[in-house]
Amino acid sequence: MSLPQSLRTSVTPPELELIASQQLIEIIPLIAMEKTAFISGAFGPLRPPLKAQIPLWMAINLKLKKKCHIVAPEWLSIEFLQSRLDEELSEPGFSQLPFRYAEVSKVLLDVAADDIQDTDKVRSLLKDLKEARQAKSREGLDQLNRGELSLSNLCSMEINEIRPFFVHAMGILTHLHRDPSAGDDQLE
Amino acid sequence: MASASARVAPIVETQEEDTPLSQLCRYWLNERHAPDILPAQEELLSSLLDHIRRQSEAVQLLRGEPSASEEEHIRIMLVQMEVERVKFIVRSYVRTRLFKIEKFARFIMTDATIQTRITTAERAHASRHAHLTDRHFHNSVLQSLPETQSHLDDAPVFVPPMITKPDENRPVFVHALNDCAPIRFHEDLTLEMKRGHISLMPFSFIQSLLAKGDVELI
Repeated sequence: MSLPQSLRTSVTPPELELIASQQLIEIIPLIAMEKTAFISGAFGPLRPPLKAQIPLWMAINLKLKKKCHIVAPEWLSIEFLQSRLDEELSEPGFSQLPFRYAEVSKVLLDVAADDIQDTDKVRSLLKDLKEARQAKSREGLDQLNRGELSLSNLCSMEINEIRPFFVHAMGILTHLHRDPSAGDDQLE
Repeated sequence: MASASARVAPIVETQEEDTPLSQLCRYWLNERHAPDILPAQEELLSSLLDHIRRQSEAVQLLRGEPSASEEEHIRIMLVQMEVERVKFIVRSYVRTRLFKIEKFARFIMTDATIQTRITTAERAHASRHAHLTDRHFHNSVLQSLPETQSHLDDAPVFVPPMITKPDENRPVFVHALNDCAPIRFHEDLTLEMKRGHISLMPFSFIQSLLAKGDVELI
């Protein structure tokens, strides 16, 4: 078939990772490279030890070959994550995180753990954040109705997690409502 | 704590510039999430395919040079890798459309508006697919049924019609790229999405906003 069954209802986490990897990130190169034209734009020149901005996938690749250090984004730090976690636990809404934080942080922790400070603590904070937010999005199911459900600040991976159930549930609610308006008032 | 959160508070989502690739990425995701077939992006796709070909040719040319240094090797490898990534997205985009076209083939043949959204090649494929499945069903089963039951496009009462149509009421997650015109759901519910707003709602309500490029599906 043209599209495998597993890809029909939603995108998969590896695909989200692919998309997230287009984002730019700062590196400290260990090799020199001239300015090069890529399909997504021109990157370089790389002149060690000057910092440069390149797409995440490129940084990952160079990192695996030990040709660069990755400068961890500002939000991937204990200070930032702790403040967001506190906010998450005290406020009813979702705290504001980068839209693709889950994908980017996973990739960076997998590949460039030595460029991030206090990885253990960062990992556990990310996990706590994730769980706190998951609990909230489950509570959000209460508010689901046939109209719309606002989910500001929810991140791409979280949306992908709740997608199958929420889409199905709202589909049923819409369906239930459509029937009475079609002329049969007994269901009201 | 307050000072710390104030210092790191503003998240500057690095808004990437609108390159052809990022556009394709957006169309790809829209297509993946939308229940209906979206307008074809023929020009964008062909310009990207051209770009892929140019990059591959450049790589071939550089590969031929025996004196290439290690840096040069890495550079070539990165270019090649990007080509593969873009190819993956292009392929997935085309396959998603193909899947929908095969699914709605019969509907496409009867509906003029949906035909404006697909390319000539896609229409030819839909027509061929519809024709082949029709013939197959006819040869295997329908020809031995009574005349009244041997059609594939009946619309009996109380039963869903036989032709598969896109389900425009399927909910989708939308992300507002710009401030949007208000959407009216029913008598007492309207919503005006500001830039960055994320929401779950039936596809039919945001169809026009999506066509304008004010929202994307996520």
